[in-house]
Amino acid sequence: MGKEAAILVAVIVIITLVAIFLITFIVYIKTPPPKGLEKLKPDEDDCRKCPAAHCLNKPAGEEGGKEKKNA
Amino acid sequence: MNSGFLTFILAVISAMLINNVVLVRFYGICPFVGTSRKVKSAFWMGVSVTLVIVVASLISWPLYKWVLVSAGIPFMDTIVYILVIASLVQIIGLFIKKFSAPLYRTLGIYLPLITTNCAVLGVVQGNTDMGLDFGGAMANAIGTGLGFLLVIVLFSYIRERLDASGVPKAMKGVPVALFTAALMALAFFGFRGMVQ
Repeated sequence: MGKEAAILVAVIVIITLVAIFLITFIVYIKTPPPKGLEKLKPDEDDCRKCPAAHCLNKPAGEEGGKEKKNA
Repeated sequence: MNSGFLTFILAVISAMLINNVVLVRFYGICPFVGTSRKVKSAFWMGVSVTLVIVVASLISWPLYKWVLVSAGIPFMDTIVYILVIASLVQIIGLFIKKFSAPLYRTLGIYLPLITTNCAVLGVVQGNTDMGLDFGGAMANAIGTGLGFLLVIVLFSYIRERLDASGVPKAMKGVPVALFTAALMALAFFGFRGMVQ
């Protein structure tokens, strides 16, 4: 296969894969999440057990949460 | 028993136990530590990763052999694999979002971790770098996926028990988890020599 043909195949392969990725991404974003799960958060029990004081996922009112509120 | 089938089974066992992706090759540590706090989430993360590894290998091997090599552009393998894996994760996430609310609740925020899981890319890339045939690639993919599933579920059981035990404050959370992983790696080292 010539150099030009190889470049053409490479471009076609990449464009096809990027198009598939974009389509799946858009469909994923547009698909509504199940009811009650619109805003998924990490498990609060897990968060309370976790010793990382500065994590922004901590529920409001706790150490990390306060920081998030103030930020 | 058919010798081809026996070779396939031995390759699966080898990839699963002897060359375990997490404890021997140190791939996929991020979801291994991040989603192993509960057995349920660990199990489904393991199943999802296994599925992505197997399907990504199923697509990537023919793509490499019959498109990239035939066209003389094998150097583009990594970018092609990344796109294949990212698309697969989106598709699996889409199915979970649409058809399984409980699974979406358990895995929802962790699903994108699979895209960045180097175990998936490592296996797919390894299949072609090692020059495996299609059967070998599939055995490697299935074994690696099952190995990841086994280890993450075992690890999550241990972590659940550790949460309920009196771990010193300084060791709670990730430090004791990493010690546990190290001990598990030593235990898995015992499988060496199992398949000659």
